[in-house]
Amino acid sequence: MKKKNNRTFGKILMTLMIIFFYLPILYMIFFSFNEGKSLTSFTGFSLRWYQHMLASHDMMESLYTTFGVAFIATAVSTVVGTIAAIGLSKSKKIVRDLMDQVNNLPLMNPEIVTAIGFMLLFITFRVEKGYITMLLAHIAFCIPYVMLSVTPKIRSLDPNLADAAMDLGATPWQALTKVIVPQITPGIISGALIAFTMSIDDFIISYFVTGGGVKNLSIMVYTMSKRINPSINAISTLVVVIITIMLIIINVVPAFLAKRQQKSEIKGHHILLPASVLAVVIVAVAIFGRMGGSNSSLPYAGESLYIYMPGEYIGENIISDFEEQTGASVIMENFDSNEQMYIKVANGESYDILIPSDYMIQRLIEEDFLQELDHSKLTCMDLLNDAVKDMPFDPGNKYSISYFWGMVGIVYDKTVVDYADLEREGFDIFLDTKYKGDIYLYDSERDSFMMALKALGYSMNTENEEELNEAYTWLEQCVTTMEPEIVMDEIIDNMAQARKALGITYSGDAAYIMSENENMGYYLPESGTNQWCDAMVIPKNAKNPDLAHEFMNFISSYDFAYDNSSYVGYTSPNVEVMNDLAASDYEGINAYLPRIGYEKDEVFVYNEATRKIISNLWSKIKIVASNAQ
Amino acid sequence: MKRFSQLALPYIIWAALMLILPMALIALYSFSNQGNTIVAFSLTFEHYVRFFTDPDFLLILWRSLLIALKTTAICLLLGYPAAYFISRCAENIQNTLILAITLPTWINALVRTYAWIGLLSEGGIVSQILAFLGFEGVEMLYTEAAVLLGMVYNFIPFMILQINTSLCKMDHSLLNAAADLGANPRQTFWKVTFPLSLPGVINGITLVFLPAVSSFFIPKLLGGGQFFLIGNVIENQFITVGEWNFGSAISMIMAIIMMLMMMAVRKIEERNQGGKED
Repeated sequence: MKKKNNRTFGKILMTLMIIFFYLPILYMIFFSFNEGKSLTSFTGFSLRWYQHMLASHDMMESLYTTFGVAFIATAVSTVVGTIAAIGLSKSKKIVRDLMDQVNNLPLMNPEIVTAIGFMLLFITFRVEKGYITMLLAHIAFCIPYVMLSVTPKIRSLDPNLADAAMDLGATPWQALTKVIVPQITPGIISGALIAFTMSIDDFIISYFVTGGGVKNLSIMVYTMSKRINPSINAISTLVVVIITIMLIIINVVPAFLAKRQQKSEIKGHHILLPASVLAVVIVAVAIFGRMGGSNSSLPYAGESLYIYMPGEYIGENIISDFEEQTGASVIMENFDSNEQMYIKVANGESYDILIPSDYMIQRLIEEDFLQELDHSKLTCMDLLNDAVKDMPFDPGNKYSISYFWGMVGIVYDKTVVDYADLEREGFDIFLDTKYKGDIYLYDSERDSFMMALKALGYSMNTENEEELNEAYTWLEQCVTTMEPEIVMDEIIDNMAQARKALGITYSGDAAYIMSENENMGYYLPESGTNQWCDAMVIPKNAKNPDLAHEFMNFISSYDFAYDNSSYVGYTSPNVEVMNDLAASDYEGINAYLPRIGYEKDEVFVYNEATRKIISNLWSKIKIVASNAQ
Repeated sequence: MKRFSQLALPYIIWAALMLILPMALIALYSFSNQGNTIVAFSLTFEHYVRFFTDPDFLLILWRSLLIALKTTAICLLLGYPAAYFISRCAENIQNTLILAITLPTWINALVRTYAWIGLLSEGGIVSQILAFLGFEGVEMLYTEAAVLLGMVYNFIPFMILQINTSLCKMDHSLLNAAADLGANPRQTFWKVTFPLSLPGVINGITLVFLPAVSSFFIPKLLGGGQFFLIGNVIENQFITVGEWNFGSAISMIMAIIMMLMMMAVRKIEERNQGGKED
């Protein structure tokens, strides 16, 4: 009786667990066919996100990288791991035990520690980070898994087996391949499978060792997940389909072949055959996919342009238009913050165009990372707004051409927030407990300290440590009493859906939010705020500066600047575009037109000592916020 | 015969370069002040002092260990009965269930975690179910519960598979023997089955606890920017702040804590096995 109860309990548990495991996967597949952008309401069937995915160079490239790295890493680590395991089994015990410990390093260390080890290794020895470093790291952490699975099989063999074979006249090579390897094949296969699973699923290690725009699927999802992007669901569905087909082949074909084998007595490595056929097919598809679409009659055919810029910061079709017009292919990498970009650039990673903000450009100029622009190649200067020319961080535009510009302000829900509160309190509204639990902060050290300093009535460029500490206390009070959510680009979709009442945002994002939801308003405090400008620059180590100049002209020209600004919501430096859009798409949206000439507004100035203080204080604030929960 | 031992040589060199050297570099960075330690190395303990004298860092380390412990406990409490149930099924059902549990782990972890964002967000399926059950307006996304759920979701398959393996390896005649000798099912389970499955339990705990402590994408995706764990602190030091020496010191501290824990777990395992032989 009791036993029956136990079984019912087990069945219920198992059913719930299977639901738990598959719910997210089914949900993802379901919403990949959603017509709308929402992740919560299904508005109709459509293949639009699949078209999106196929058109996205980035997404398809990340698929090739994921599978390419996984196949090569599996093949190499299986061969190397098997040979090493055989060798070690015949080595002295001391060597064997020592190597067991060494192999345990990646298995027993937290993955992030292993990842940082690899990163420091490549950077210390100046190996350019990219596909190769990712592959090397994957091979390095896959081999121990292969050995772990092969070694027990070797230990269970008769130690005299190889000797016996050689006594009978086999060469060592024959003894190895004809006698030992066939005996341990099951171990090798399961080792290879584990290696493949580890490689294809890896995020942490790949994330720290990659560079040059090389992304696997995990990295792509991680960098794109800030905004709602149903194409992620589409590409995930594709991965589910590929993996399921592979699993079926691996599970079903050997059984099928084994049956045939029984009939015909043909010997063969029954699992290697389907696996290698599959590998060939995938490699062929990968190569075929890469080759398509190069047109040699265009001026820059076959060349590449590496762009490193903030995520979700360019119009939908701009890149493909540029590729069509020039024949070049664009490799795009996105950063979350200027600081993150700086670390990569300072470590010698090469890009053709960066799009950082004002103070960071100043820093890059001071530290000699940028090359001067060739103004004879630039046709765009006359189109630009005087307000974003000749800025203090780059007098005479020697190094930079503006990309977007605007302010930092408060986006608020008009139905919840009392306008009088905003007028009276300015940035201090973020300390008003009336709005507790209803605010977003922006995860940027610069902008958060700007807000605190302005609220306190100081200059946001202060170098006075006491004032900075006061700002720290202000922010500390905010995160400990107001229960804010500290977000990045998630704020855009969340505010558009009025999830919270107040948030700190860039004007361009506010323009988008207001165009999506008419209940949203935008307010610039009278205490003054940050006026910023993001601009395109060319690093010294750029490989294709000519094409970079071409891109600057292209993106500044009326048609493409119009598409870009209209899509993203940020203010165009092209003055004609700005005026036209303010009168059409963004009519009545005050966030689109920056506040010009207000004396309390400032532009960021770079100062190394201050940056360090702010950077550490901000990371402290996030820890305090997290501990306060 | 000895000549096969030479086959190991290339790998020993490779392992020295790719496995030992990186760890050595982390240690070197953590005791140094200059960015590039190869050029200018000056011994300092300041990064360790900074970490251990700041209550906020210690608190976040504690919270990370705590949430990893919670994850491990939940995985064990749910995973053990599941593994036990599977091991009692007929062989073909067993294989199907194992495949059903393994299949999701083949699909990218980031992708599966990302799917939870939609499920947990306001107006998503989970909040609709909760509302149906009478819990209106419960905020799920960007809470500790969401992070915990994401971790259990990602790591519980490892627990189930490990325990299941050791349960299946068990000699079933022992159970009959115990029953013949008059043990009731409960006694049989606690005196025979559970001790014999302990190696699997310990492997499972390791495989869950280790990634749970250092995970940084689960807290970031499901916990939001204000949900920091020690993994996020390390990521932040390397990716945004750029103080690699301090970041290396935190990594070292993590690695050492983990090593000590693993050693403790192994001791328990050894003692347990030793006890059996008595």
